[in-house]
Amino acid sequence: MVLEQLAGNLVQGVVLGSVYGMATMGLSLIFGVLRVVNVGHGAFMMVGAFIALWFFNFLGINPVIAILAAFVIGMGLGFLFYYTAMSRLIKAPELATLLATFAMGVLLQEIVKLIFGSEFRGYNWAVGKISLGITVLPNTKLLACVGSGVIAILLYLWVNKTRAGSAMRSVVEDSEGARVCGVNVGGVYALSFALGIGLTVASGVLLTMFIPVGINPYMGGGYTLKAFVIAVLGGLASPYGAFFGGLVFGIIENGSYTLFALMEGVEPFALTRFLSFVILLAILLIRPTGLLGGK
Amino acid sequence: MKKQIRKYSPLIPVYAAYLFLFLIGRNLPGMWQLVAMLLFYCALGQAFNIFLGMTGYVDFGYVAFMGVGTYGMALAITRLANVEGLATAIIVIGFVLALFMSTMLSIAVGAVALRLRGAYFAIATIGVNEGFRFLIEGAKIWNGSEGIIFTAQLNQILGREAASALSIFWADVMVLVLAALAAFVTLFYMRSKIGYALTALREDEDAAKVMGINVTKYKIIAFITSACFAGLLGASSWALKTPYVFPPEVFEIHYTIEAIIIVLLGGAGTLLGPVAGGLIYGISKYYLSVFLPGIQLLIFAPIIIVIIVLFPEGVVGMLKSRLKDSTLARFLI
Amino acid sequence: MQQKDIKKVALFFSFFGFLLVGFTLHSAVAETKDKIVIGHPACLSGQYAKAGEQAVGGIKACIDWVNQEYGGLSLGGKKIPLDYKYYDCESNKEAVTSLIARLITVDRVNVVFSPYSSGLTLRGAPVTESHGMLYMDHGGANDDIFRQGFRYVVQTIGPASLYHRGTIDMIHKVDPSAKKVALAYEDSEFAKMVMKGAEAHARQVGLDIVFQRTYPKGVTDLTPLLSALKAANSDFILGGGHFEDGQLFNRQMADLDVDTKALSLIAAATLPAFYEALTTMAEGVMGPSHWEYGVKYSLQGAKKLGLPWIGPNQEEFVALFKKAVGKDMIPDYHAAEAGAQVLAYVLAVEKANSLESDKVRAALGDLTFMSFYGGWDIDETGLQIGHSMVDVQWQAGKRVIVWPEEAQTGKLYYPMPTFAEKAKGKRAVH
Repeated sequence: MVLEQLAGNLVQGVVLGSVYGMATMGLSLIFGVLRVVNVGHGAFMMVGAFIALWFFNFLGINPVIAILAAFVIGMGLGFLFYYTAMSRLIKAPELATLLATFAMGVLLQEIVKLIFGSEFRGYNWAVGKISLGITVLPNTKLLACVGSGVIAILLYLWVNKTRAGSAMRSVVEDSEGARVCGVNVGGVYALSFALGIGLTVASGVLLTMFIPVGINPYMGGGYTLKAFVIAVLGGLASPYGAFFGGLVFGIIENGSYTLFALMEGVEPFALTRFLSFVILLAILLIRPTGLLGGK
Repeated sequence: MKKQIRKYSPLIPVYAAYLFLFLIGRNLPGMWQLVAMLLFYCALGQAFNIFLGMTGYVDFGYVAFMGVGTYGMALAITRLANVEGLATAIIVIGFVLALFMSTMLSIAVGAVALRLRGAYFAIATIGVNEGFRFLIEGAKIWNGSEGIIFTAQLNQILGREAASALSIFWADVMVLVLAALAAFVTLFYMRSKIGYALTALREDEDAAKVMGINVTKYKIIAFITSACFAGLLGASSWALKTPYVFPPEVFEIHYTIEAIIIVLLGGAGTLLGPVAGGLIYGISKYYLSVFLPGIQLLIFAPIIIVIIVLFPEGVVGMLKSRLKDSTLARFLI
Repeated sequence: MQQKDIKKVALFFSFFGFLLVGFTLHSAVAETKDKIVIGHPACLSGQYAKAGEQAVGGIKACIDWVNQEYGGLSLGGKKIPLDYKYYDCESNKEAVTSLIARLITVDRVNVVFSPYSSGLTLRGAPVTESHGMLYMDHGGANDDIFRQGFRYVVQTIGPASLYHRGTIDMIHKVDPSAKKVALAYEDSEFAKMVMKGAEAHARQVGLDIVFQRTYPKGVTDLTPLLSALKAANSDFILGGGHFEDGQLFNRQMADLDVDTKALSLIAAATLPAFYEALTTMAEGVMGPSHWEYGVKYSLQGAKKLGLPWIGPNQEEFVALFKKAVGKDMIPDYHAAEAGAQVLAYVLAVEKANSLESDKVRAALGDLTFMSFYGGWDIDETGLQIGHSMVDVQWQAGKRVIVWPEEAQTGKLYYPMPTFAEKAKGKRAVH
C-alpha cells in the first residue's frame, strides 16, 4: 500500500515537476544572459494564468492555443519592460535590478486586480483522465507535462540551431567579444529578456492546466520562491538545468510525503518543504553551480 | 578627543533625524504610532545595511533572524511567566535569548551561505528562511503553526498598566535605541579595518583575497552583527509590541523586500541612506493608504521603478556625489 | 554646484518640507461632534483584499440603513447619523497600529472595527486597549484572542472552534452509521483551531477519526495528501483553510476520484466563486458559514424567540450592499458580519445612552438581539456565543442552507454523488 502510494506520488511529482521546470526556464534564461534575477517571476506566471482563464471562460478558446497567445503577450511585456526600465539598469548595481523587477511584479499584480478583482477563480477544461492503477491523471495534467517538454525542446533548438540563438550564446560567453564581432548586444539582451518573460507567462497557462483553480492576482509569490530553488538546483544560468531541476524538485516534494507520513507526531507536508530546502542548501554547498552547471 | 568627534560627526544628521521624530511623536497627538512605524523601517534599513551596504550581498532570508528574535522573546515570556519574582527581568532575558538565537542562526546560515556569491547567496538565504519556517511548522516546534499568543502572560508579568505602556511606547523606544545603535555600529565598522576590508571586497572580491585580506572573517562579522540587530528588532517591534507570533508571519519574505527597498531608496552603503529610505518609504506608504486606500500599491510600484532608474545609487548616494565638494560632504557618508 | 543640481536638491528638500507641514496640519484637524464615527483600518489590498472589500461594503450598507431607514442613532434625545472613516492597512501589521492611532487621535472616532484576520486584530488590540477604545472584531475567529484579558474587544464573528460542530451533528443525525471521519486542514492558526474543535466534537459524538493531517499554507499540489486520504476509506471529510486551498482541495479530489459521502470545507466552499471555478465538481460540497444569502432570520423569527430585532432584512441588505460597492455583487459572510457589527454598536450605544467605551462595552455585554445576520450574544470575555453557523450545500449550482433545521431552505443531499457521476451531469438534487 505504501509503495503504491509512493509510486503514485512519484508519477504526480514528475508531471508537476515538468511544469515547475518549464516555468523556471524563463528565470534561468534571463539570469544567464543578463545576470538579472527576476524577482517578479511569479507575477508574470499569474498573468499567464489569467490569460488562460480569460481565453477559456470569455473567449471559449482552449488553453493549448492560449499558450501561444500568452507567449506572444509575454514577449510584448518583456520588450516593454526592457526598453522602459531594464535597459537603463544594465550598468546599475545588482540590487537595483532586483528591486526593479520586484516593483514590476507588484505593478502587474495591482493592474490585474484592478481589471479582474481579487476574487479566486478557475475554469474547467473537461477532457477526461487516465487511470494508471497507482494514481489517476487528468488529461490536462498530461498535456501540461507534454507541453512543457515540447517547449523545452523548442528552446533548445532555438538556442543551438538558429542565428539569433548563437548570437545569444556568444553574448553569454563574452559580451565584449561579441560586440566586437558585430553582434547587437543590446538587441540580444532585449530579445533574451523578452523571451524569458514570454516563457514565464506561457508557463502560467501550463500551470493552470495543472491547477485550474485558485487563480487570483496575488498567487505569484509562492511560485517565485519555488522557481528560485529550482533554478539553483539546476544551475541558475542554464535553462535546461532548470527543467531538470523542476523534475527533481517535483519528485522530492511529492515523493517524500509518503515517507514523512510514516513518522509520528509531525506534519508530513511541511516537512517535505523543509526537505526540499535542505537539499537546496546541500547542493549549493557541494556543487554551487547547480546540478547541470552553467556559470 | 577632537579627532574622535570629527570621526563620528556623520552621526549627527542621523541622530538629529531620530530626535526630531521622537519629539514629533511625543508632542503631536496620535503621531507616536506613525513615528513608531517610521522608526521600525529606519531600524530595519540600518540593520540590513550593515551587511548589504558594506558587502553588496543580498540576504534574501533576512527576516528569519527577526523571526527567531521574536520567538526568543515569546518563549522567554511564556516559559518564565509563572516564575516568581522575575518580572521585568524576563524582558531582559527575552532580549538576551533573542540575541542568542539570532547569533546561532546566523552562524549556521553563514557557514553554508557565505561561501557563495551573488545570486547564489541570495537564494541560499531564502532557502534557510523558508526551510526554518517549515521546520517549525512540520516538526511542531514551539507550538508549530498555531504560534504563540502571550498578551495574557505579559499582563501577568508586568501588570496590565505596564504591559500596555510597553506595547505602545517602550517597545518603540527600544526600536529607536536599536536604530541609533545600528547607525553607530555602521559608522564604526565603516571607519575601521572592517570597513576597508569590506569595501575592497565589494569592489572586487577576488582582488581583495589576492591582496591578503581575510575576506571571510570580515564577512562573518558583518553578517552576524546585522543578524543580531534583526533579532533584537524582532523581539521589540514584533514580540513586545504585538504580543503574538505566527510562523508564516514572522518569516514573511515581504519584510526582507521592504528592507531592500528602504536601503536602495536611500542608498546602499551610506550611513544616512537607510534613514532617508525608511522615512520616504514609511511616509509615502502611510499617506497613500490614507488618501488613496486600495490603490496605493498601483501608484507606489511605478514610483519605485522611476526612482531606481533615475537614482540607482539611492537618494543619499546621489546627494553624496553631487555635494562632494561642499562642506556637507562630511555628513553624507 | 550647477544650477540644475541646486534645483534638484531644492525640489527634494521642499518635498520633505511639504510633508512636514502635512505632519503638523495633520493634528490640527478637529472633528465636529454632530456625527458618530466608526473607524476601520481595513484590508483593501494584500492577501485579505477580498474579505476587506466585502467588509467595507457591508459596513457601508448597514450605516446607510441606520442613517436612512432607522433615522440615525438615538442619543440624548437626538438622532445622530453615523459616519465611516476607513484606511487601507494593506493586510500589513505595521500599518495597522499607525492607522488605528490616527483614527483614534486625529479622526476622533468613537469605535474602531478591527482589520480582517486574527493576527491583525491582535496587532491593533494593544493600541485600542491603551486608549480605552472599544474594538469590535468581525474578522478574527481565533478563540485565544479572548483569553488574553482584553477589556474592550468584542467579537461578532463566530469563534473558530465551532465551525464544524454543526456539520458533525448534521451528518450524525442523517446517517448514524457514518462513523469514520477524515480531517484535512490547512496548517495555520485559524484552521487548526477549527480542526481542534472538530476533533473534540467528533470524539464526543463517538466518531472514529481515521485520518488527520494538515497541509502548509500556500500549497500548490495536494495529491500526496489526497492519495493517502483516499486510502483511509473514511465516510466523510472535513477540512480546508482559506480560499485558494479550498478550491484546490475539491478540484484535486475530483482529479484523483476521491469519492466520499460528504465533504465540508471551511471558508472557500460557500463563496460564489467556488462554484464558478469548479462547476459540477462542487455539486454536493458543503461548507459552514456565518451567513449565507437565503438564511431565514426575520423579524417574526426574532419575535418568536423573544429577541429584539434591528436592521435591514436580507433583501434590503443586499440592495444596500450593491449600492455601496457600486457593483452587482452578492454580499458574502464577510460583508454580513461586518454589517451586523454596526447594528450591535447602535443598539449598545442606545442602551447605554452614552458614547463612552466603558458604558458601551458594558451594554454590549448585556445585549442579545437578532438581525439579518442571525443571533448575537457575547460572554464576559467578549467571545461571540449567540451566533450559530449554518451549513450550506451546493445543489444544482445554488447554495442551499441545510443546517440547522430552523434555518433550512432545503434538505441535505446525502450521500454526495461521485465525481464521475457529477461529470456526467448528475446534480445534488432529489
